[in-house]
Amino acid sequence: MDLLRHLRYFVAVAEELHFGRAAQRLHMAQPPLSQRIRGLERELGVELLKRSTRRVELTPAGRVLLAEARELLAQAEHLQAVMGRVQAGELGELRAAAPPMVGGAAVARLLTAFHERCPDVQLELRESTTPALLQALADGSLDIGLVSRPARLGALAGGPTFATALGVLLAADGAPEGPVELGQLRDRELVLFPRESAPDQYDELLATCSAYGFVPRAVHHAVATPFAAGVVLAGRAVGFATADEPLPPGVVWRPLAGRPLQWRVSTAWRPGAAGTAVAAFNDAATAVLADAGWTPVDAPGPARRVPRPASGLLT
Amino acid sequence: MSQARIAAAFADAGVEGWLHAVDIDAPGREIGLRADDPVVLSSVFKLPLLVELWRQVDAGLLSATTAVDLPPATRTSGPTGIAAMRDPVRMSVRDLAQLMISVSDNAAADALFDLVGERAINARLDALGLDATRVVGCCRDLFAAMQQDAGTEEPDELALRLADPDVRARLRVLDPARSSRSTPRQMTALLGAVWRDGAASAEACAEMRRALALQVWPHRLASGFPSDDVRVSGKTGTLPGVRNEVGVVERPDGRRFAVAVFTRTDSPAFVLPQADAAIGRAARVAIDALD
Repeated sequence: MDLLRHLRYFVAVAEELHFGRAAQRLHMAQPPLSQRIRGLERELGVELLKRSTRRVELTPAGRVLLAEARELLAQAEHLQAVMGRVQAGELGELRAAAPPMVGGAAVARLLTAFHERCPDVQLELRESTTPALLQALADGSLDIGLVSRPARLGALAGGPTFATALGVLLAADGAPEGPVELGQLRDRELVLFPRESAPDQYDELLATCSAYGFVPRAVHHAVATPFAAGVVLAGRAVGFATADEPLPPGVVWRPLAGRPLQWRVSTAWRPGAAGTAVAAFNDAATAVLADAGWTPVDAPGPARRVPRPASGLLT
Repeated sequence: MSQARIAAAFADAGVEGWLHAVDIDAPGREIGLRADDPVVLSSVFKLPLLVELWRQVDAGLLSATTAVDLPPATRTSGPTGIAAMRDPVRMSVRDLAQLMISVSDNAAADALFDLVGERAINARLDALGLDATRVVGCCRDLFAAMQQDAGTEEPDELALRLADPDVRARLRVLDPARSSRSTPRQMTALLGAVWRDGAASAEACAEMRRALALQVWPHRLASGFPSDDVRVSGKTGTLPGVRNEVGVVERPDGRRFAVAVFTRTDSPAFVLPQADAAIGRAARVAIDALD
């Protein structure tokens, strides 16, 4: 027996004390309504109504049930409303991830900004490399994430791309004062995030370094800036970082002349996950990136690409 | 040992590489790295086209001196040669062949492709025993496929979209199963036939060698042999992430080596000097190993 439905019928009859009017209110015919009420009485093993030709009256059991049923129906309605909000992404949990290169300060700002926009959604934010993040989005174990661009999004949806210039981390001892040219680093080693963290970005970065005359003597891999800064501190290697990374004493940040290296990120999400929480995450990420001085760019890749005769298409 | 050094030359430049090198006059002396894998030819398809063109001249089907009209409105465009010009051009078959090879002129190549025919080129490859080598369409077909897969015909926009890894992942021109293809070993076999006068008449093979020796690009195969006494002849091929060159290195001691180098990288950059130079470096290591 669908108890909730039967209770709804009963409440209508008990409130109207008239089968015809109750049936009208329920948009149904009277005979099936009478049958359902009898079914409910059989199910509960009590008589709920006293029926005569002229009128309908509640029995004592009917009066008790009316109060209980009203409460139960109200709770059921609340339950449905809550589940509706979960469905719309206003309640529940959002599983998100960001690359390990995103600094601690940015993670904190992102969590706060999201909570302000969507206080009833628990944001489960974890660290993930871009390829693993894209895989998790594709297989449904993650709802949304921040990815390094360019990246292979496939069928995933992507938010607007933001870029920030990377500068160079140097041992303070002997570091030049002003901006550094990439070519000046030609005798140095490089400490960089591991290629598997963001292969497309890694290749692009090394290709740009090489094009500007910096072919590192060795490339060391480090996920987090503190570790990279440690390697830099030892003296032979340089690293790349955004301007706002906290640094240990003895390591300095310098801008790169001509801003040749950009770090670009965007959000990416499963089209099926789109809803209030995904929109709030996008909005929060946009606000946090803009606050941190990232600028929106038109394309997830470079702004302009000019093929040359010897290196263009089909030569 | 030498194969490891060839692999290192590719790895140092951040590219994947396929290579075959062989002594033209002692074909038992050879070295390869994934030499029998299928690879996309890109503009290297102009080499089998050149061979069939001269076979048709040998057979009297075409005259090398016949003038061909290339009106600007209908010829294929590109960054070099007639493909980059503005006005009507009338040029002989053999001069078109020379431009097709020396500067990879797409307009010249497609005009000759229309004269020679795709079926005839593939029949010639069969006759030469090069059954893993297939020519599928000409330059305008490659362009059209790329524009379709990238969803734009506008050149600036196309260049930008080709930087998107998702777009590159769906480019048919990068799939050997759906584009002009060969293997490194079959390309050195074809070059060997041209250099041994086996691909056509001796006179026609000399014409082909002349065109290949006139190729202007210094950044790939030739970069591995920076010496006035070495002749480097070749034909390059370029697509997003793809850099190829097949050619012949003739040393002052009289030894001649055919070498075919095919590379790929995930980097979308057009300008990637170290990837170009890796072709010369890997070829140099391979040929030195054949001494």
